[in-house]
Amino acid sequence: MSKNLSALAKRQGIDNTLFQTLVVGEDAKSKEQRKALAKQLLIGEAIVHGTASFYDFIDGDNANKKAYVCNGSSCLCAETQSQVTAKLLEHFSADDIGHVTCLGRCAENSAFQINKENYSGQDIARLAEIIDLGVIDSAERYHVESNLTPAILTAQINDLEQYYQVFTDVIGQFSDDALLQQLTDSGLRGRGGAGFPTGFKWRSCRDAKGEEKYIVCNADEGDAGAFSDRYLLEQRPHSVLFGMLMAGYLAGAETGVLYIRDEYPQAIRATEKAIVEFEALGLLEDLAFQFNFKIIRGAGAYICGEETALLRSIEGQRPLVSVRPPFPTQSGLFGCPTVLNNVETFAAIHFIFSAGAAQYFALGNGKSTGSKLVSLDGSFNKPGIYEVEMGLPLTTLFDMAGGFAKPLKALHIGGPLGGVVPISALENLTLDFESFAENGFLLGHASVIGLPESLAMIDYIEHLFEFTAAESCGKCYPCKLGSVRGQEMIQAAISGKQLLNRELLDDLLETMQLGSLCALGGGVPLPIENILQYFSDEIRPYIQNTNTTLEQADV
Amino acid sequence: MSNVITKKVAFLNGVGHEIVAGESLLMFSRRLEQSKSREIPTLCDDSRLDAYGSCRVCSVDVALSADGPRKVMASCHTPLADGMHIFTNSARVEKLRKNIVELVLSDHPENCETCPSNNYCELQDVAHATGVREIRFGNQQSRGKQSRDNLPAVSKDTDHPYMRMDLSLCIDCNRCVRACDEIQGEQVLSAHGRGFDSRIIKGQDVSFNDSDCVSCGACAQTCPTGAITDVFRANRTPDAEKIRTICSYCGVGCNLEVSVKNNEILSIEAPNDAAVNAGHTCLKGRYAWRFYNHPDRLTSPLVRIDGELTPVSWQYAFDYLAERLLAIKDTHGGHAIAGISSARCTNEENYLLQKMIRVVLGTNNIDCCARVCHSPTAYGMQKSFGTGAATNSIDDLQHTEFIMLIGANPTAAHPVTGAKIKQKVMKGTPLIVIDPVKTELARYAQWHIQLRPGTNVAVLNMMAYFIIEAGLVDTAFVDSRTEEYQAYHDAIMALNIDALAAVAGVDSALVRHAAIAYAKANNAMSFHGLGVTEHSQGSRAIMCIADLTMLTGNIGRAGVGMNPLRGQNNVQGAADMGCQPHQGAGYLPVDIEDNHQYYQAHYKAEMPKDIGYKIPEMFNAALVGDLKALWILGEDVVQTDPNQQHVVASLSKLDLLIVQEIFLSETAKMADVVLPGTSFLEKSGTFTNGERRVQKVNAAVTPKAGCKTDGQIIVEMMSALGHPQPDYQADKVLEEIAQVVPFFAGITWDNLGENGLQWPVAKGGKDTQILHIDSFKRGLGRFHFYPFEESVEIEKNAQAFPFILTTSRNLEHYNCGTMTRRTGNSKLVSEDVLLINSRDAAKKNISDNSAVRLFSARGEIILNAHLSDKVNEGILFTTFHFPELMINRVTGDVTDKHTKCPEYKVVSVEIEAV
Repeated sequence: MSKNLSALAKRQGIDNTLFQTLVVGEDAKSKEQRKALAKQLLIGEAIVHGTASFYDFIDGDNANKKAYVCNGSSCLCAETQSQVTAKLLEHFSADDIGHVTCLGRCAENSAFQINKENYSGQDIARLAEIIDLGVIDSAERYHVESNLTPAILTAQINDLEQYYQVFTDVIGQFSDDALLQQLTDSGLRGRGGAGFPTGFKWRSCRDAKGEEKYIVCNADEGDAGAFSDRYLLEQRPHSVLFGMLMAGYLAGAETGVLYIRDEYPQAIRATEKAIVEFEALGLLEDLAFQFNFKIIRGAGAYICGEETALLRSIEGQRPLVSVRPPFPTQSGLFGCPTVLNNVETFAAIHFIFSAGAAQYFALGNGKSTGSKLVSLDGSFNKPGIYEVEMGLPLTTLFDMAGGFAKPLKALHIGGPLGGVVPISALENLTLDFESFAENGFLLGHASVIGLPESLAMIDYIEHLFEFTAAESCGKCYPCKLGSVRGQEMIQAAISGKQLLNRELLDDLLETMQLGSLCALGGGVPLPIENILQYFSDEIRPYIQNTNTTLEQADV
Repeated sequence: MSNVITKKVAFLNGVGHEIVAGESLLMFSRRLEQSKSREIPTLCDDSRLDAYGSCRVCSVDVALSADGPRKVMASCHTPLADGMHIFTNSARVEKLRKNIVELVLSDHPENCETCPSNNYCELQDVAHATGVREIRFGNQQSRGKQSRDNLPAVSKDTDHPYMRMDLSLCIDCNRCVRACDEIQGEQVLSAHGRGFDSRIIKGQDVSFNDSDCVSCGACAQTCPTGAITDVFRANRTPDAEKIRTICSYCGVGCNLEVSVKNNEILSIEAPNDAAVNAGHTCLKGRYAWRFYNHPDRLTSPLVRIDGELTPVSWQYAFDYLAERLLAIKDTHGGHAIAGISSARCTNEENYLLQKMIRVVLGTNNIDCCARVCHSPTAYGMQKSFGTGAATNSIDDLQHTEFIMLIGANPTAAHPVTGAKIKQKVMKGTPLIVIDPVKTELARYAQWHIQLRPGTNVAVLNMMAYFIIEAGLVDTAFVDSRTEEYQAYHDAIMALNIDALAAVAGVDSALVRHAAIAYAKANNAMSFHGLGVTEHSQGSRAIMCIADLTMLTGNIGRAGVGMNPLRGQNNVQGAADMGCQPHQGAGYLPVDIEDNHQYYQAHYKAEMPKDIGYKIPEMFNAALVGDLKALWILGEDVVQTDPNQQHVVASLSKLDLLIVQEIFLSETAKMADVVLPGTSFLEKSGTFTNGERRVQKVNAAVTPKAGCKTDGQIIVEMMSALGHPQPDYQADKVLEEIAQVVPFFAGITWDNLGENGLQWPVAKGGKDTQILHIDSFKRGLGRFHFYPFEESVEIEKNAQAFPFILTTSRNLEHYNCGTMTRRTGNSKLVSEDVLLINSRDAAKKNISDNSAVRLFSARGEIILNAHLSDKVNEGILFTTFHFPELMINRVTGDVTDKHTKCPEYKVVSVEIEAV
């Protein structure tokens, strides 16, 4: 990261960022326009070009396509996309069709995007209509269920005034310190995947020196298979806004930024609407405390889900992962102390302060507390969003969803960097951070993708390397170089050109795991190693040994 | 209460060591690891840049107790903590490093032998250190960036006069990008794309030539491979000798490391351990050195015989000069002879020249180019504080919270200091710029007070008014440390602010905001340049700045003060050494009896007592026949002094004009005797930079055949004049200077070390970073009030010549360009151009890049106009680097009232399209 660029971006403020100008501005396309923009923002022209060229949807290969096909893991495993592509090719040239990694339509699959509208399931059958009309209402349906009484994250919000009343009530009733203590007592841990204690994070930002502070909501839900954040923003946006408002009050920030991925247009619209509704309430009118929301639209880069890359992205820097320390609570957005939490983390706040920390803490195993949203993809009989208590046996959850819709050999749980769990290991797992870690997996953001019997695991390894290579920011060498070398090795083994040197593959995975700067390069070895361990019979023919010949491998 | 300080200790490979606050694991290990071979290898680290963490080669094992669980962490960005155990060579991390480097090499060409960085390549070193012998990734498609189809042509860039790029050698460590941003602050470099396919770009993916690159070379210096280099890089050889010396291009005083083989310079780099420039320098220091053996160099003394400058022997030249000078002295007296010394020469040479003029030729007619630049600074600051030099050090920028920059464009004229200021300002330190031109730094300033040239005193008085009005005077400081405040206060408060704002053409609300912010800052530092001094009210504006400094108590501690940006490399030293007509070496007034005795005792010779001519007075005296002989050391007065016609007419009247030069300058062409001197690369001595830092200049090569060092020329001349002197030896002359100049008392050649000492230096060698800590040199600081006065130039000529021309330098060229025009810099900028506001251009039917006639009451020139928003309507701007143009044909005669410094910055002119 560049401290200069952070500080220069701070001067311009959140309403005049290079990144949003590039994403939404029509006057930042030509070289002359970008030269003028650089001059205006007091930055180098190279910075503008460097930033624009990073993103798929600005200057990247996938910019300005007429239609996009989802190539996320769930759609890949569902094997629906060749049919979608074939349909699209009836109306568009191959050049006009781009790719997008996960539209979050994992419950239905067959996902695609036209004119910034997402479609899935049976929508493809109405392609001619979509093209004719420009846009139609997607027929998307997915289950939303909770086995909690009352439901927390999935509960209906009926009366907005009453809903936000909780804010004015608690700040009138308790000291800031007491409220932070309640948050700590709830045991809430970050839902983005890392599970960092939320109370500690907010307090740390509150205690940090700085005239300006920020609240940032990470709504860059890039994990293929995950759509729980999309659900919250589309269906329960006020729960997210409430959490951010509370964070702003307690940490001392007056601006809340929601970084929402471009692949979720409906979530952006729903959040925009919710912000207008919030403002119309006039909740803060009589308070000394002011809080403004700002939506920043992403532009197609998985790495922006990493917190430091996300902050750099907002600032208009190339979203490379920054070293830590400093942590965002010390030096985050524009170099100011920043609370950065996931959508679902913010969404849990209302319940904690309305029902009480004790009630929240009572759910779970004491270490992982509260409820958790789980995204189940189209390989379940009742795919959708499930809200369950932390610590619930995984098999119980899957029973709620009616079991598997087709024969599966494994589940990929927790996003691309989560573990590949063989069906045989499911009964040992409960839905909490600890159980997954103890068993050598990762709860992550709790998305579940079914890997069908028909899927060749070597292909899935290639998919994981390919995804990492495509999404690596390119900063640290183990990830930038390792992902490409890994993909090449697997491709060579699949094509029969060169069987896998197992020692080299192990070295590569170890190098990425130990050496990478962030969880992308450091995390992708986990599912690959899971496959190498649990599906060794299937992988063995691709591995060199003194006795293996190409013919033998060619099974 | 117990007062036990527990030491914090961390363990490096099992051995405990005390922690230094703020250290990373890598810094800790580097500090303690004795042998280079045991150092943690890295590829992306440059200790001058923020920790970046991309290569991961510096990974180490870390545990919180000796036997605790270990975790692999990158040492460059992991802070050291109490009780940490660091294992730098565990089997696990050694394997990790080797595997990472193997990955890097799997994407790198193998042909080291043909690489310009062969033997200087950090990748080579790290590959060797980590023991990579084999690259196991066989048969890969994407091996070596050079084989990738999508690398555009600009990735192999060989068109620039200096910079080179070959991205096939790049390992994406981004050190270049970071150096461009964090050191130079230019942001010319970034990267395109992401992941494996990302690659370094310049501008919007253009060539160096087409980018905004300022050719500082920071990227080339930090590049660990041969991906970004410069044209001199391939010359490097392990058996070259490295000589450390000081750049002669400006008053910053950058340290340079000159690589020399067989008495030829191969390349110049900047040493990372230099206090002044920490591995950085600008394109002039790093690249513009080829003039030193340019074919135009003078190689023999020349004496005008039958109207022609004719090569003669040194013996002949000295004999001839001795005879002529002594004859003039006998006939007309010493006062008919004068000397102009050179701010580009060493302290020792300046000291010797003033000694020759005073002691041997018997006159105080000695001056130097400080007269035409910072003489008002020396005068004004002496009046206010007692010392005519920077109160603080450039390093104080680290501590300041507020910067005020007046009449200076340091990113062009003092690039390394300019870059340091820009770094501060980009990161948010508030900045006031008072300048008629929208300079690079003005773009970043919170307050740019774009006044009409010549109205500094008006604006500075307005600031004082607003500070007093807002009740922001530091009364404790004013009461205890200053005098004459009440009279100043009363005069300021009686001012008509609206009238002043109108005169200066500024918004008084803007001035008010700026003044209040300046006064409210805890630690504010001011810098000023020739935009303050080269005015009819130059000295007075200096005293106005001093007033503001005292008013706000910004004196005598770190991060504050009043700091002139000295123009030439040794202009501070030339004045320190007594190259001034009224003060001898060490600033003692020559007309005071005690001082007179002091000097005579030291020189063991007679000294003249009457004050001599200042430079403009020399010309006037020559014109009327009072001055018969003039000795000029390394100064092209014809090209650089104002009103060239007047200068030429004056010089023509002389009986004897002697010029010591390295090229046949415009002045040398008029000389009766030309003595071929040497450049800084061929001589030893000391230079004193703008922060009073005396640094050692070491000869990198021997003087060009036929030439002598300027110090040697002077001592031989003194001997020929009957005052036998030993051969020039810098250390011996410095020894003499230390005896004469009080603030040099503690300086010896040896104790100057690599980074020099800042005067005053007490006996024993203790130097001084900050002046006036407890009291001013003159006791109490003195307030001076001066009302704004319009320049005579404007009063006399504005009617007929309604535009105001102001002149300055650009980045690529230095002064009259004698040196830089004879280097690759002339390919970057090859002419002086006129900046004109587009509205004026429209009125005058002048289009961009078209020729215009620029004329004043003195003369006219023709040059190309550039339409620019850098100047307001009615204001024109140009530079004075090219003799073809001779801008000083139009500049005038007005000078500063106190010091006779010419008013280069305000010239009434008119223009018309050609």
